[in-house]
Amino acid sequence: MAKLLEVDNVTKRFGGLVAVNGLSFHVDEGESLALIGPNGAGKTTAFRLVVGDHRPNSGAVRLKGEDITRQPVHARINRGIGRTYQVPRPFHGMPVSDNIRIGMMPNRLWQMLRHGPDTVKEREIAARVGFKPGEEAKSPGELSMGDLRKLELARALAAGPSIMLLDEVFAGLTVGEIALISDLLAEERKRGMTLIIVSHDLRSLGPLVDRAVVMSFGSVIAEGPFDKVMADKAVRDAYLGT
Amino acid sequence: MASERSFNPYLGWAIFAVLLALFPLVASGGTLRIFIMAFYLAIFAMSWDFLSGRTGYVSFGHPFLIGIGSYASAILSYRYGVPLFISIPAAVIITMIAGTLFFLPALRVRGSYFALVTLAFMEMTYRLTQVIRPDLTGGTRGISGLPPITTGAFNNYYLALVLMLAIAILLWALSRTRLGLALSAIGMDEDAVSGSGLDATKLKLFAFMTSAFVAGVGGAFYTHYLQSIAPRAMFDISFVFTIIVAVLIGGAGTIIGPIIGAFFLTFLLEYLRPVFPGTERYFIYGTIALLLYVYRPKGIISILDELWGRWRGRAPAPEKASAHG
Repeated sequence: MAKLLEVDNVTKRFGGLVAVNGLSFHVDEGESLALIGPNGAGKTTAFRLVVGDHRPNSGAVRLKGEDITRQPVHARINRGIGRTYQVPRPFHGMPVSDNIRIGMMPNRLWQMLRHGPDTVKEREIAARVGFKPGEEAKSPGELSMGDLRKLELARALAAGPSIMLLDEVFAGLTVGEIALISDLLAEERKRGMTLIIVSHDLRSLGPLVDRAVVMSFGSVIAEGPFDKVMADKAVRDAYLGT
Repeated sequence: MASERSFNPYLGWAIFAVLLALFPLVASGGTLRIFIMAFYLAIFAMSWDFLSGRTGYVSFGHPFLIGIGSYASAILSYRYGVPLFISIPAAVIITMIAGTLFFLPALRVRGSYFALVTLAFMEMTYRLTQVIRPDLTGGTRGISGLPPITTGAFNNYYLALVLMLAIAILLWALSRTRLGLALSAIGMDEDAVSGSGLDATKLKLFAFMTSAFVAGVGGAFYTHYLQSIAPRAMFDISFVFTIIVAVLIGGAGTIIGPIIGAFFLTFLLEYLRPVFPGTERYFIYGTIALLLYVYRPKGIISILDELWGRWRGRAPAPEKASAHG
């Protein structure tokens, strides 16, 4: 399978702290990859390097073979990277439908002015993540954490991504909500969506991914099928801190 | 049972325009002059709100933009004899160019830092108008005897009214587009806007340019209405606060809110004048503004919204960006 996203020998320093050190991994088209590791391993920094929140000190990030290392966040999103946030960041003054509308907007001022919203597609996306008819009018303040995660997914899907990066997608959810989000992600996988999931919830993550990349102290310590990686001694030692 | 009535914004704007258009038939010249001041304050308030109320980039230096528009048209018309139909559009273009200068700090700083930088812009311009080429700017005394666009309270009333309504409708129409929604989103979470694939810098530049355009138009017309310009009156912190308070009292992030706020402030100060000729009326104005802001942070428009909700016989709809355009 063709490499969709490639992180090549990326290093990121914050002052004297090396948060990510020579990190390399890739994800193939249609694959689901878990990016895991103990607290402070550098997962979130790696995630932010891929989406463009941070620029690496060295190394390269490539999407479909194109070097996107120096591109700003919005340009990466427009090239097909969808992202969600660790803590949901809806536009609080807008209902669900407007939040999705923002995700669907073209990055051209004239088109934003000239063409009205595609409300049919907005409703389709809302339904795709499990919002019931009528719930598009709800404001984020009326939504549960599970619904906020759904809204994050909807806004990311609205931009038509070819790969979705999901940061701590199960954080703060009840057991029922985790099951619901897991079902949604499984559905996206069936549709052929490529996923990179950062999560501490390894139990929920297992059934959703083909492969795992384990980080510790900014570097990859193991990579391979999820179950095999979780049985790796280095990984267990990293998680247990031994 | 109360029937459900939906608010038609087109009808609302039409009624508003017709009432104001008919008003000179029953009002005195003095009252019309108060209205003219309210119209111009409303234009400045809408300009400020389109930038700060929507994108969240609070400008404390808005008179910088208004002043550039005013001075540009004043200098061109008074010093160089350029006709007003050329000097005013030229002043607007110059203000928009100045708006890009105003925009540069927004590439790097946000929040209170941005507000302070814009305040510095205003203070810097205040100093510069006095020391650089006073032969052009008139130095500390400014310029008086500027050519008027029209004369008399009646004509100036209609000129200011048409200008205010044209700007209000333009901004209202803009705010109802997807672009208007995206600008409001910047004020809520700029990073999430970028994370949705939109170039926040481009959107902010558009907001700054539009705000500068309105400030330039308002500044140029206002200075020819007054037929004079002075740096202390233009680049004054109390002028900034009047604009900001008008927006906050009326309701930020809307079009009608700044207009309501501008009218409220202008009439409050004018009608308190006979009762409290001294500075006491500013105390009353400040108290009312404070109370309104504490108890109704979304401004008078939220009170009207609630009343409208009761009139319709149901609770107000959940808050929505650009509900009033």
